[in-house]
Amino acid sequence: MEAKPVLIVDDEKNIRLTLSRALEALALETATAVNGEEALSRIREKDFGLVLLDLKMPGMDGMEVLRRLREARPDIKVIIITAHGTIESAVEAMKLGAVDFMQKPFAPKEIRELVRKVLSRDALVAEKAGDYGSHVELAKRAIANRQFDAAQEHVRQAIAADATKPEAFNLLGVLLEMAGNRLEAQKNYRAALALAPGYKPAEENLGRTVGGKGGGFRLGKSEHPPEDEA
Amino acid sequence: MARDLFIVIVGCGRLGSHLANRLSRAGHSVVAVDSDESAFGSLSPEYSGFRVEGDATELAVLKQAKADKADLVIVATRDDNVNLMVAQVAKAAFAVPRVVARVFDPKREAVYRHLGVETVCPTAVAAESFLQIASDAASKEGSS
Repeated sequence: MEAKPVLIVDDEKNIRLTLSRALEALALETATAVNGEEALSRIREKDFGLVLLDLKMPGMDGMEVLRRLREARPDIKVIIITAHGTIESAVEAMKLGAVDFMQKPFAPKEIRELVRKVLSRDALVAEKAGDYGSHVELAKRAIANRQFDAAQEHVRQAIAADATKPEAFNLLGVLLEMAGNRLEAQKNYRAALALAPGYKPAEENLGRTVGGKGGGFRLGKSEHPPEDEA
Repeated sequence: MARDLFIVIVGCGRLGSHLANRLSRAGHSVVAVDSDESAFGSLSPEYSGFRVEGDATELAVLKQAKADKADLVIVATRDDNVNLMVAQVAKAAFAVPRVVARVFDPKREAVYRHLGVETVCPTAVAAESFLQIASDAASKEGSS
């Protein structure tokens, strides 16, 4: 994985050690800081891609570091480290722009999975941002191949690229319905119809889930030939 | 280092703290659990793991220690019955791949084994060591 270095900010030595050890296996370069002030000066010195940030620290706390980081370097991703039972502050931090959080204690595997997930999310956005049509097509293909996680990701990105078209909402509805979440699915079919009244696939999907009629899922016509799938 | 394991140690007394110190120094990620906070005083300054204060017979405490993510759970409180119970919960509720409990009473070992819990019995281990020494001494006596 080609990635920028990771900065670990925690006042507790054991956390810094556990985290840097766990990330060694990902071949990521790591650096540590013991408080908020040190963290900010490190960030000025070096181009970090990700910061693992403890909220509770003496002196400048993690929330303040996060606030300043958002202003100075909104491109740097932040994962929050929280103690058990302090979800509220983690949620607060997510509102401020942290991408995710993890609760102490953590297993090395858990840390690696989260960091990998956050970094690969980054790579995906960079590679294929903005191309609504190909995301919709890739999502359909993924659904056809029963790769639902991949499909979900493509749908999410299609919506992020253009939230005014019905196809992606219809596909999201299909995915939710397949997962057994009928009510949420209907909401998305209706959203698709609200954007484009008379959009056939959504109309049929909605009709089927409401009326209990049979029939397969409607993914919509392939209008945009997909680009390279890899 | 072969592989860094995530190890939960329940009971941070003489045995528990010793294991926690050694395993942490060996590079594993360790969580020590004890209902008495002062027990963590036996952890060495180099111990780089976590501390969770609470009664491990409560499901929430094991969850807090992330037993569900553990590769290995070692149960070493001073009470055989507690050890058996916690070990069973770790196995059944959290599907931990490997669970080992200390049991003082050798008579109980068979029961534990029947319930699928791996055990270490200090009495049996000590007895083996003593018997080994006795048999070494006897063979020396015989050869001279």
